[in-house]
Amino acid sequence: MLENNKQVILEAINLTKKYDDGVVALDNLNFQICNNEIFAMLGGNGAGKTTTINIFLNLLEPTSGDAKVCGVSSHIEPLTVKQNLAYVSENVMLYPNFTALQNLDFFTQLGGRLDVSKDEYREVLMRVGLAEQVHNKKLKSFSKGMRQKCGIAIAILKDTKAILFDEPTSGLDPKAGYEFIRLLNDLKDEGKAVLMSTHDIFRAKEAADTIAIMNEGKFLMKEKASTLFDKDLESLYMQYMAVHGLKPTTEGV
Amino acid sequence: MLKTLVEKEIREILSSTKFIYTFIVCLVLILLSFYSGAVNYKLNVTHWEAANAENLRSFEGIKEWYRVTENRIFLPPQPLATLVSGVSNDIGRTANIEPSGEIVADDSRYNEEPAYAYFRFIDLEFIFLVVLALFAIMLGYDAICGEKEKGPLKLCLSNAIPRTKFLLGKFIGSFAVLSVSLIVSIGLGSLLLPMLGVFLSSEEWLRLALIVLAGLLYFGLFLAMSIMVSSMAQRTATSFLILLIIWIGSTLILPRVAVLLSGRAVDVPTVDELGYQKAMYGTEQWKEFMNTLGNYEAIDNDNMEEVMANFNKFMDSISIAREDKMNLYRSRLNEQRYNAELERSQIAFALARISPSASLSLATSTLAGTSPNLKDKFYQQAKNYQTSLKEFLSGKTGMNVGGGMMIIELDDGSPEKDPIDPSEIPQFVYETESLSTSVKDTLPDFALLILFNCIFISGAFISFNRYDAR
Repeated sequence: MLENNKQVILEAINLTKKYDDGVVALDNLNFQICNNEIFAMLGGNGAGKTTTINIFLNLLEPTSGDAKVCGVSSHIEPLTVKQNLAYVSENVMLYPNFTALQNLDFFTQLGGRLDVSKDEYREVLMRVGLAEQVHNKKLKSFSKGMRQKCGIAIAILKDTKAILFDEPTSGLDPKAGYEFIRLLNDLKDEGKAVLMSTHDIFRAKEAADTIAIMNEGKFLMKEKASTLFDKDLESLYMQYMAVHGLKPTTEGV
Repeated sequence: MLKTLVEKEIREILSSTKFIYTFIVCLVLILLSFYSGAVNYKLNVTHWEAANAENLRSFEGIKEWYRVTENRIFLPPQPLATLVSGVSNDIGRTANIEPSGEIVADDSRYNEEPAYAYFRFIDLEFIFLVVLALFAIMLGYDAICGEKEKGPLKLCLSNAIPRTKFLLGKFIGSFAVLSVSLIVSIGLGSLLLPMLGVFLSSEEWLRLALIVLAGLLYFGLFLAMSIMVSSMAQRTATSFLILLIIWIGSTLILPRVAVLLSGRAVDVPTVDELGYQKAMYGTEQWKEFMNTLGNYEAIDNDNMEEVMANFNKFMDSISIAREDKMNLYRSRLNEQRYNAELERSQIAFALARISPSASLSLATSTLAGTSPNLKDKFYQQAKNYQTSLKEFLSGKTGMNVGGGMMIIELDDGSPEKDPIDPSEIPQFVYETESLSTSVKDTLPDFALLILFNCIFISGAFISFNRYDAR
């Protein structure tokens, strides 16, 4: 039963992905993410986090099951689904010979918004923490954190119901990491449904409403973050990994 | 959406250093080809005019038309041959025309200047074949896999754009940039022509425009091919290597292999073999001629003029008979060789057309009037000229010029004759092929270039739709 004003935006239904070589990347995965909700998938490399995101983006077809955005299947109507999705990758790579504003302009138009003014671009860039003096600088001179901020600005400008973040805090310094969590909460407050894959337990604990620990394409655990605050998520994560004979990735731990 | 993609592509290319350097190289080469072409053309015109004048001067002082036994003709330089040299530098440009006998053209440009034969000229065709194709590869080899390697591809495809549109945007953007660069470069080069004193007729401008169109189609197919390969490869290095191999194969190897295979398929006797056979037959005929001549019995008459007239009539008859036999034999051998050569050429061109480079070369050289047919056309027109020269001299002398004759000049005290007027000798005028004929001849090559474009664009769409963009 959903609360008032809650609406399922992202949904995985028995989502399964088997590769030709027999590797099972996703095994009957089920979850729902509503508006105003952040869902964090924690797990080591090869757990299936990026595969889940790729299926939502229709860069991969599921073997069975479905990934839906606003009730629309990502592999049946990918273009409709993509109108409601924004994506920010681990290492945001934009066009290096374009300035931040030019990159924003191109990707915003690509996202279907043709009426955005330069002032609005500047406003969003300021909001994500990029000072005005770098707006006209070419991306090739940007650090990873700055590019990440540009990527988030693009996602904000696309103004979709759902945003997918793939390892967004990887390689960010603590200040940038803090700013990112602040932005994530802003987006949540604006009504976005956020699916985030991460290794970073602390950031996940800080921002997410629901946390799932993932391994070999399955959720080993999926809990409301509020219930986990009392437990020690870190020890829970290590415990789950150890029980299943796994080496945890301890980035951020 | 497509407009956004095209604009982005154009902006991205224009802001890249690789484009700036390549454009500068392309511009310099095109300007150089126009400049050197114009200078060469003017030089060739000067040589041609001087050679014609010298030829006319060689007849000065001659008082009897029967002393005019030959005339030298010269293939006039063609303005467009300076931009697309084709075979114009390889074939003979002059020929000694006798009223009868075989015509052999000699004095090819490369014969005079072997260094050019070795290194060839930088003309538009060379720039299209080599520079433009490499330019297309440079623009297209990383179109897809490069975007994946550098990162923006996944972000682009996370938007609601069909892959076909994304690819079309890339193709149109890249094609537009190069087309404009090429047209600007050729436009600047064209401005050089009148500045250097080379004036093209409106028909020649139209031909040049069609040559540029062929170049653009060739660039388009290499661009489409590059995008197709980049949609198949996961790494830019792999894509570049594959394209380089294709370029070497299609530009340098395939046409040569085609010629080699056609040479194996059809045996064409060499000119020396033919010459030997003709010489043997000629010797045989000469013996027969001499035997007949030895059997001649002069008429019993005191009037020397009547005796000479009778003798010349006899000489005429046996000369004509000998000449007819020789001509028949020569024609038969020449025809056999021509047919074999034609068959070999047709096989060679058909096989070579597997490579788009061959189609481009044939289309551009046909439009410039420097295709392999130039040799035949010059020969055919020289043959026609031979007939008109023979008729002219026969009319002037009242004799069978070119045949055997004996002339006895008697000093009967009549006043000395005035010299002949050499300007009366018919002039050789080389008729270039009409534009409509050239266009008709190039249609198969244009069709092939368009077909190659369609194949590679379709291939690129199919590959990209299956491309793993993760």
